Amino acid sequence: MSPARAVLAAALLAAVGGDWRVRLVDVAEPAGLTRVSVYGGLERKRFITETNGAGVAWIDYDNDGWVDALVLSGTRLEDTSRKERSWPAGEAPTNRLYRNNHDGTFADATDKAGLRRTGWASAVCAGDYDNDGWLDLFVTSYGQNVLYHNREGRFEDVTAAAGLATRGTRWGSGCSFVDYDRDGKVDLFVANYLVLDLQAAPEPGQGASCLWKGIPVNCGPKGLPTDTNLLYHNEGDGRFRDVSEASGIAKVKGRYAMTATAADLDGDGWVDLYVACDTTAAILYRNNHDGTFSDVALASGVAFSEFGNEQAGMGLGVGDFDGDGQLDLFKTHFADDIPALYRNLGRGQFEDVAMASGLGVQNHYVQWGAGAADLDNDGKPDVFYATGNVYPEIEALMPQYPHRSPKIVFRNLGDGRFEDVSARSGPGATTPRSSRGVAFGDYDNDGDLDVLVMNMNERPSLLRNDYDGGNGWLMVRLQGVRSNRAGLGATVVVTSGGRQQARAALSQSSYYSHDDLRLHFGLGAARAADLVEVRWPSGAVDRLRDVAGRRLVTVREGEAPAPAEGVAPPGPAGRGRY
Amino acid sequence: MSAALLLLLACAPAGLPAEDAANALASARTLLNRDRPREAIAALEELDASDPAVALVLGVAHYHAGDAAKAVALLQPAVDKLAEGSAERREAVQVLGLALYLAGRIAEAVPWMEATREWAGSNLELHQILGSAYIQTRQPDKAREVLARVFEVPPEGAAAHLLAAQMMIRLQQEELAEAELEKAVAKDPRLPQAHFLLGQLALFRARFADAAALTRKEIELNPANNLAWSQLGDIYVRQQSWDEALKALQRSIWVSPFYSAPYILLGRVYTKKGEPATAEAMLRRAIEYDPNNKQAHYLLGQVLQQTGRTEEARRELELAERLQGAAGR
Repeated sequence: MSPARAVLAAALLAAVGGDWRVRLVDVAEPAGLTRVSVYGGLERKRFITETNGAGVAWIDYDNDGWVDALVLSGTRLEDTSRKERSWPAGEAPTNRLYRNNHDGTFADATDKAGLRRTGWASAVCAGDYDNDGWLDLFVTSYGQNVLYHNREGRFEDVTAAAGLATRGTRWGSGCSFVDYDRDGKVDLFVANYLVLDLQAAPEPGQGASCLWKGIPVNCGPKGLPTDTNLLYHNEGDGRFRDVSEASGIAKVKGRYAMTATAADLDGDGWVDLYVACDTTAAILYRNNHDGTFSDVALASGVAFSEFGNEQAGMGLGVGDFDGDGQLDLFKTHFADDIPALYRNLGRGQFEDVAMASGLGVQNHYVQWGAGAADLDNDGKPDVFYATGNVYPEIEALMPQYPHRSPKIVFRNLGDGRFEDVSARSGPGATTPRSSRGVAFGDYDNDGDLDVLVMNMNERPSLLRNDYDGGNGWLMVRLQGVRSNRAGLGATVVVTSGGRQQARAALSQSSYYSHDDLRLHFGLGAARAADLVEVRWPSGAVDRLRDVAGRRLVTVREGEAPAPAEGVAPPGPAGRGRY
Repeated sequence: MSAALLLLLACAPAGLPAEDAANALASARTLLNRDRPREAIAALEELDASDPAVALVLGVAHYHAGDAAKAVALLQPAVDKLAEGSAERREAVQVLGLALYLAGRIAEAVPWMEATREWAGSNLELHQILGSAYIQTRQPDKAREVLARVFEVPPEGAAAHLLAAQMMIRLQQEELAEAELEKAVAKDPRLPQAHFLLGQLALFRARFADAAALTRKEIELNPANNLAWSQLGDIYVRQQSWDEALKALQRSIWVSPFYSAPYILLGRVYTKKGEPATAEAMLRRAIEYDPNNKQAHYLLGQVLQQTGRTEEARRELELAERLQGAAGR
């Protein structure tokens, strides 16, 4: 670039909010994340089962201090029938686990880890249901959900023994491990999307709910029967008991439930559940502290848009966008709509500030996996979401609704407003894909957040964050004692440079996905956090003061260390059970 | 005996005496004429539906009973078996076109509706639906030509572009509408409503500066356009420019006080300005003019909740929920 052009470019950058030093580069291919996630037809989706795709996870399944990548997959129907296609031996699509080689590459560990499975996978949520220090997995599907018990790096399907086998075919969607009764053991929430008999489902265009802007497309969800959600209590002996009715979870009807996340959203010390719902009101299951839940989404302001309109909820981000120490919610929606950004006003009240925040400028794409990810470590979580249309056949007729579309990145300006920096976030953001699940984590342990993305009928994207600024960071790993071992449901508030940041340890968020459980905080110019406060799901609170940055800190419940204790040595990795 | 009935008699199904079949068909026709399609279907239960005459009456009955897919299934194989130029064939062609449209098979519906134009050139409803079909199959020029006929304006004039755009917006074809509106204002820069709709589309895509400029152009053409003032207020509300919004919305109401939108927006403005009593009054006025407006009930519920009137708030919010329609796909 010539000096004159460089000056002009710098001036333009300054005019739109300053330098943005985040560059996302898709390194999936050289890193070895090469297997395609088959999901329905390539150019046409006949049924809704082919459209929604699946999630991904960053999970340190072998406790070596480096997060591994799980990418879910679907399958495909025969062209002329409703049967699942049969595949040559060894070629059937499967969920894939890629083990982190600690050098920027991964090795396919699917078979070794016992995760080979072909079907219509939807979501993954992670949690340590037996508190043995090894993260277990629950994978939902159209068909049968599966509970995988992690036995020191090898997973075993224990669904039936745990009492979680599905009767008949249900469409499991979101899920979250959640200790709703504070007994120190994570229970399991499972959402169901809708009721679908694939053999009886109408073909595209064969009904009023089978058109989009006049174009025949796969039918639904409108017009298809809804299902109810499930809550299983962890009995502590490896088994779960269905408490959906007794807990009030199944009372909520008429929703097309999708991503589910569990966090203390009203600050009362008990973990709540928030569920994004397609084309219907979102659900906020408030924890009543007595083993029951009530849906308070409407009264809390998180059911609808700012003006009270239903939205097609898909993905969820949870983070503290305005730096007030409270968890805000971000929800993604369908094309021609904008996401919702629900600012937490306290006392269980929220306000949708998406339009006021400047997030309305992107509204062409169907939005999916999302997160409150501080990509430039400035202490202000940015917005990242993946996009991709559900009707591949639309693009030829209406090019403004492409099947493959970019990732959207909004930089948090810190004053309640966001700036669209998608085009300036590198080729990993701008390269169009039909993406679904997204997970955030630091796979290369360099202190910034990288992004794993599930793409429909393509290999995943591994968006390495080549942030080259000087901002500091801190990662916090939780180890529950009275609380569940993984600390799921805990809220961590970091104070640095006069600003607070709240983050929650989540079993699921984004779209059907699971993030790195090492909670990431940007510190901006600060070298240390003034205060790290952990609000455990047991109700206990631990506080650490003057915690040096650029490191991973492990906080064990009730044993908040003095500044020099319990802190990993300089360098990001920390080996051993979390 | 009518020619139609003679035809029906000739087509009497095997296994049922011809006279009985003719009587059943005649009875079904009578029931159809009396707007009792389900009874007509029942009357034809024992007849052979592969017979084109039976399929015609049965198909028409299913169409009127709201089962467009069944009507298509009956009429599609029958239509070419009916005599060319006959009243029966014309009826089959017309109903098949409409049934295909209602079944969502819009591209397939178009040739049948075009064929119907040959003998139903003055049928406004047919042309309106055909125009919609052309929009939904993204044929804007044909849509404009057909809709110009419906509204009796020259097909190449600015008014035809405006009308086509208005229909395109109704059918969620925003990009097509924008192109039509650009042509409309190029042909007649002072055409009423065109800048207003362009502003509406810019607002839809959150291009607030464009939206405000276009809406102001509309107001320049007609300062008494209360909808344009309301839209300008809406744009300012979305930009959090409360004082500017207030001015525009007051002007909208002063021009015409009987439209709910500006009151809803004023409810939002006064809520954000910390004046809940005034916000409540505005929202109640909106509900007075538009009792089933979900937005008004929702925002009123929020205002009531903020002022601690929890039970009243709950009622309003639940009403807003019951009034919800479809979102997204």
